[in-house]
Amino acid sequence: MNPLDRINKALGKVPVHFAVILMCLLWIIPTLGLFVTSFRSRQAVQTTGWWTVFLPQPKAVGQPEYTQYCSSCHGANGKAIASADLSNPNVVNQYQSAASLLLMLRKPVNGQPHLLHPTLSSTPKEAITTLTPVLTYLQTLSGQKQASSEFTLDNYVDAIVGYKGTADYLPDCQNKVPSTLAVMNCNTSDILNSSGMGIAFINTLIVVIPATILPIVLAALAAYAFAWLDFKGRQWLFALLIGLQIVPLQMALVPIAQLYARLGMQSTFLGIWLFHTGFGLPYAIYLMRNFIGSLPREIFESAYLDGASHWAAFRRLALPLAMPAIASLGIYQFLWVWNDFLVAKVFLTTHPVLTVQIQNLIDPLGQNWNILTGAAFLSFIVPMIVFFAFQGYFVRGLLAGSVKG
Amino acid sequence: MFKLSKMFVLLVVLALAAAACAPQPTPTEAPTAVPATQVPTAMPPTAAPAATATQSPAASIDCKGAKAGDTLSVLYQWTGSEEQNFNTIVKPLVDACGIKINAQSTRDAAVLDTMVKSTPPDVLFWPDLSPIKLYSDKLVALDADGANAGNYASDWINLGTSNGKLYALPAKSDMKTLIWYSPAQFQALGYTVPTTFADLQTLADKMASDGNVPWAMGLESGAATGWTGADFVEDILLATQGTDYVNGIISGKVPYNDPGVMSAYQIFQKWSSDPKYTVGGSTGTVSTNFGDAILQVFSNPPKAMMVDKATFAAGNITKQYPNLKLGTDYNAFAFPGAQGVQVSADFMYAFSNSPAAQALLAYWTSDLGGQNFAATNWGLSANKGAAGNYTDPMMTTLGNIFANAKGYAFSTGDALGNPYATAQWKAVVNVAQGQDIKTNLDTVAAAQTQSLQGK
Amino acid sequence: MVPKIMKQGRLAPWLYLLPSLILMTIFIVYPTFATVRLSLLDAHSLRSAATTCAAGQPCWGILENYRYALTNPEMLAALRNNALWILLMVPGTIIGALFFALLADRVPYENLAKSIIFMPMAISFVGASVVWRFVYDYQSSGSQIGILNGILTALGGQPVAWLSAPIINNFCLMLVGVWLWAGFCMTILSAAIKGVPAEILEAARVDGANEFQVFGNILLPSIMPTVVVVATTMTIIILKVFDVVYVMTGGYFDTEVIANRMFELIVTNAGQSTAIAVVLIVLTIPIMIFNVQRFRREEAAR
Repeated sequence: MNPLDRINKALGKVPVHFAVILMCLLWIIPTLGLFVTSFRSRQAVQTTGWWTVFLPQPKAVGQPEYTQYCSSCHGANGKAIASADLSNPNVVNQYQSAASLLLMLRKPVNGQPHLLHPTLSSTPKEAITTLTPVLTYLQTLSGQKQASSEFTLDNYVDAIVGYKGTADYLPDCQNKVPSTLAVMNCNTSDILNSSGMGIAFINTLIVVIPATILPIVLAALAAYAFAWLDFKGRQWLFALLIGLQIVPLQMALVPIAQLYARLGMQSTFLGIWLFHTGFGLPYAIYLMRNFIGSLPREIFESAYLDGASHWAAFRRLALPLAMPAIASLGIYQFLWVWNDFLVAKVFLTTHPVLTVQIQNLIDPLGQNWNILTGAAFLSFIVPMIVFFAFQGYFVRGLLAGSVKG
Repeated sequence: MFKLSKMFVLLVVLALAAAACAPQPTPTEAPTAVPATQVPTAMPPTAAPAATATQSPAASIDCKGAKAGDTLSVLYQWTGSEEQNFNTIVKPLVDACGIKINAQSTRDAAVLDTMVKSTPPDVLFWPDLSPIKLYSDKLVALDADGANAGNYASDWINLGTSNGKLYALPAKSDMKTLIWYSPAQFQALGYTVPTTFADLQTLADKMASDGNVPWAMGLESGAATGWTGADFVEDILLATQGTDYVNGIISGKVPYNDPGVMSAYQIFQKWSSDPKYTVGGSTGTVSTNFGDAILQVFSNPPKAMMVDKATFAAGNITKQYPNLKLGTDYNAFAFPGAQGVQVSADFMYAFSNSPAAQALLAYWTSDLGGQNFAATNWGLSANKGAAGNYTDPMMTTLGNIFANAKGYAFSTGDALGNPYATAQWKAVVNVAQGQDIKTNLDTVAAAQTQSLQGK
Repeated sequence: MVPKIMKQGRLAPWLYLLPSLILMTIFIVYPTFATVRLSLLDAHSLRSAATTCAAGQPCWGILENYRYALTNPEMLAALRNNALWILLMVPGTIIGALFFALLADRVPYENLAKSIIFMPMAISFVGASVVWRFVYDYQSSGSQIGILNGILTALGGQPVAWLSAPIINNFCLMLVGVWLWAGFCMTILSAAIKGVPAEILEAARVDGANEFQVFGNILLPSIMPTVVVVATTMTIIILKVFDVVYVMTGGYFDTEVIANRMFELIVTNAGQSTAIAVVLIVLTIPIMIFNVQRFRREEAAR
């Protein structure tokens, strides 16, 4: 290939690169938005879009208005009058709205009107509109505005310890706010506080690991039978199995809960493991049978001719050869159980898992929703790691389950 | 640090064991035990909310024969600081009787349903009256189960009674019929707090003509979108028609397509859909989250002048704007002209008549229970024992309005449950979007009949 | 024809199958029968559904709950929306995923690109609802905190209430669905594309076929079985779609879907809720038959 062709070929790929990168960007932007948001304070999140952190910050909103009305007396830095130091947060803090600023300005100072020149509009609405940027500038001047634009880890800390107090866990611990901190120790033991994400993380692991392994083992056994053993009603049973994939999970909740109550199994880990296994099985068997069934017949035939039993063929041939399917199924089941909300909510009421705990964190009036940003990201971490680590297997296994090999 | 906390756990275990050995502990000995529902934690020295509660003499707590070590299962919606308030309130009872409370928390009606049909909790706290309808065959009448119904106003008793049996009493109440505003804005703009409903209408018109949007409205609330609007309509009804009329909707005497309801919706439609009266007009009303709507009154610059919201709004305001001061920067006035107040509540139900369940019901409904509840400033209590015992200035004011109200009307949606509640919320959303009022209210009236039949 | 090697022992197959069969019977088969039974009873499962008929109203007797599930305006709206979801989202997701798989095949950073598309699969629906809150958020005035309206207003437009504006909101919800599921479709389709021998494609190119002809005449027919599998799986997933609607709009503003109706009624009206569930199962029967036939064909080919 001559150099010109190469350049042509590379140029010909520009639209391809463009399309791929554009699509990836579109896909990642929603998650990126949450990621950025999770490091912002609730005040900031509520007032400006997350993307504004990437834009140049407009410098000192309200400075022209401040200069026009205030700086002739108070000075450019607000410190000119010592008894009314506008760089002092305690002074500025008294005025939380442009309206209260207006009320103050209406009061005369030393018998003179507060504002000599220029005067504010006599219409209160217009005066308030004028004073709104002035207030913003005063808040910048006294250092309060910075706090809201800063990045913070509070959302994560609050989520981990499950804090729903007056402000945030760290500042409240520092200020020893009593009424809401009685369940907190303000030391490392809070990491495993019963309403936090730490303990939920452990519960989730306890649920997920057996609920992933159990269906895979059982499905491998059943899939082997469907693929390489003959028995009456094999096709009929497999057809039924395909149908079972369709049953909506919600309908099993009440009958199974009643059953568990009779057996004394309500809110036990065993109960939730079995439930996830039962509902995971149809798809798992379906996928595994397709994979094991597509293994070359000759391998099994020669094994039987050599006198191997079914059990040996299953253990020595089917299982190792089906490893890609097992791995991918494992990841699929893992993601499903990890992200499950409803089953855990119903069958594991006393040991909240991550998804359930996230719901517990938001109170019904939505006053703590900012914790959600941190909590949601904490719950992503493990599935993401699992997915990236086993991605290769996953792709292979899905293929096996869906396409006849 | 871990070592210390381990030692503390050991101490707590010892203390619990000691408490179990002594069936009648004297009040001065008990306070080391932590509420049974919590993982044992060390209380920082500054944590004092329990102090007011534990000062009361344990002698007035009736254990109803519950023995130390008896367990009591409780289900409620509370988590976090709310759950902690619950624990603070029941601590004297736990200390005095030695019972162990196993609490579970859920907000999901489906979870409640599953539990009741398999292993019902001994005592249930639930924010609506649907359990009366759904589980009347399993519920135990409260007055026969140790509760002191005499501490509650007759409106509450009637609400919780079905077929002559009292199944529900309000455990924690919230008052609606309040309008939140910024006193500074009102003063600067020359508005005064209205005292009659006509005044309120005039004020809203004046604000609108001044170019100030009077109302911040937000109906969005996920699967319950519309409930805040339904509350607003009920507040209007309390002003234009009165408590008996609203309670008539609950009992079925007043059909929801009655002319009185219609005219309330006409006012609501104007306020909720005209961009001069509400932030962003119809679209703004239906698309804004109810929590965000509260903040619209206190942002800089404010987007609206007033928001009709229950007591909880104070929490939303102070979380977002921690520097605002009560009285100058934010405050609430009772809905002008309302004859009686609209309330919501977490109701108390019993599925068991065990001694421990009776002890909790008796304690919660006693004067002492009311006092200890009020001392937490967690919410309002309909228990007569609570009046005058709030320690927070805002709660004291609200507590007085609440205790001296001419009557109580429950939010009709919470009282009648589904299908009425959902139909009502959907109608509110439709009306705010400018749809025909009559057609929508006819649909709600049909759902009202259905809900009443089930009761 | 059953391969000879499979004929070994009578009891053995059942030993392999029994644990799975027992669990599936308890957790899926038994609740399904319970569901069918409940769908013939009233709201609180006490009396026959026929007793809920109101005088002067149409009545389907014991099948009264099915009258609700099939004729109630709310249910009709839900059925219509589900149909819309299937008609738009199944082809939409597959075409998009196929397009991406074809393109990603030609870039060196293929794995990274595919991981990004697949990523939403690893996010729970509670998390996804938070993610999308910052895309679709609507403020009637002032600064926007949802990026879509942020872009719109920066370009001088008016903010749009994405989740409550009729028709648009259904597309917005579907977009979330596409975001969640495209990765799943893409990985399967991408693997199928890689399975087509490169020589065949090269041969066609040498014969003078352009890229579109290569795709239409050779690639697409070879991966058709996989496309069909993906389409049926997606159809089942979308028939059961619930999470997205429940957390984003709660079914308001004409976005109701079947599974959300079912969930809303679980507590208050067990009869109607279970009737909807049965309808949902029945709707999937054609797909089931289709899948069984495919299984038979595969068996015959072995």
